[in-house]
Amino acid sequence: MSDSALESFERIVVPLLDDAYTLARHLMRDEHDAQDVVQEAYLRAWRHYGSFHGGDARPWLLAIVRNCGYTWRRGTRVQRESVAYVEDEHGIGDESHHATDAAALAASDRAELRDALDQLPLEHREAIVLREIEGLSYKEIAAVTGTPIGTVMSRLSRARQRLQETLGLGARAKEGGR
Amino acid sequence: MNCAQTRELLSGYIDGELPPDQAMELSEHLTTCAECAGIYEELLATVRTLREGLVKYRAPDLLRARVRSALREEERPVVARPTPRVRRGLRVPWRSLAAAAILVVASSGITFVATRDRPSAESSIGEEVLTSHIRSLMPAHLTDVASNDQHNVKPWFNGRLDFSPSVPRLEDAGFPLLGGRLDYVRGRPVAVVVYGRRQHVINVFTWPTDASGDAARTLTTSHGYNLLHWRSGGVERWVVSDLNAAELRQFGMLLER
Ligand SMILES: [Zn+2]
Repeated sequence: MSDSALESFERIVVPLLDDAYTLARHLMRDEHDAQDVVQEAYLRAWRHYGSFHGGDARPWLLAIVRNCGYTWRRGTRVQRESVAYVEDEHGIGDESHHATDAAALAASDRAELRDALDQLPLEHREAIVLREIEGLSYKEIAAVTGTPIGTVMSRLSRARQRLQETLGLGARAKEGGR
Repeated sequence: MNCAQTRELLSGYIDGELPPDQAMELSEHLTTCAECAGIYEELLATVRTLREGLVKYRAPDLLRARVRSALREEERPVVARPTPRVRRGLRVPWRSLAAAAILVVASSGITFVATRDRPSAESSIGEEVLTSHIRSLMPAHLTDVASNDQHNVKPWFNGRLDFSPSVPRLEDAGFPLLGGRLDYVRGRPVAVVVYGRRQHVINVFTWPTDASGDAARTLTTSHGYNLLHWRSGGVERWVVSDLNAAELRQFGMLLER
């Protein structure tokens, strides 16, 4: 049963590559930057594997991915934020391996959702990814993003409202608000 | 609780993240206020749409390979490990490998059942090569020696094979070297040199052949993968990738130079 540290890392952390990449993709909004961020994050995660004390490794890893992403963005890429996001050549639908789960939704609808998400401000994007895709609790999201739980709640609330409007899902919310 | 407070807290209510007394007050308000109840229903539907529709990205195979080789590189300086088990340190449990294999095969929609026509020797070798390529995309299967330095990769084959594959440096052309491994085709050991191109993995299979004469380059497509084959100077070569045909051809030309 004795596991070397690397074997344990392989078993517990490496299988979370899709989770790490998904967060990085939405933070960076660029396929290649996301890959670089994830690779860097995995090296850091491995170097600091001693600081992982069991339990769910996802919040721990995602916090590292987020930090790497923010560091990267503070570097040379920040100016991109204001530039309109252009979808890359890569087909969005093809990249999903959860197609059967979401069979009811056409690939174009999923692409539309991703586009709408990527138009949100950074803090709202990460909150939505961590909550709706990763299913983390507010406490876990607060730990990953280093923000108070109350802030997590209000960011999620605002992000969902914006998505609802962008996607035209909540006619009543818009009219009723007036 | 009034309407404004209610709407502020609906999102947290849906997530079950409100303190019990607050959740109770809110649900009471919803039973008495039709307008807030309507907004609640809509927000609930939106959240469901987001959860169903927003799916994880699949990490590209090349990223998997890069992470694995980075971990190996990282591990190398730790020479103090007592046993020579370090080499197999990156193996993942067999069970998850099998699961990954099923996933890979299922997601590529590949079934290697007998084809109706009797396959030519060449096309059945092609299938074997393709199977090997797909297997190599499983965790910890891509490379036995992970390095982007041809001076590490080429010598690694010495003593493992009775021939030496060429390992050109093509990084400047946008094809970084990822490593090499030993594989088997038709029951004989062959050299596989692995390159990357963006998120794509390229496997180059090489082995010496007794077949006389050269064979021109032919590109075939199977199950969404491109296979480039040629024979020259007594060496058989197969190049496999999900990279597009034009770039794979370009890669093939660079390989021979
Ligand atoms: Zn109300």
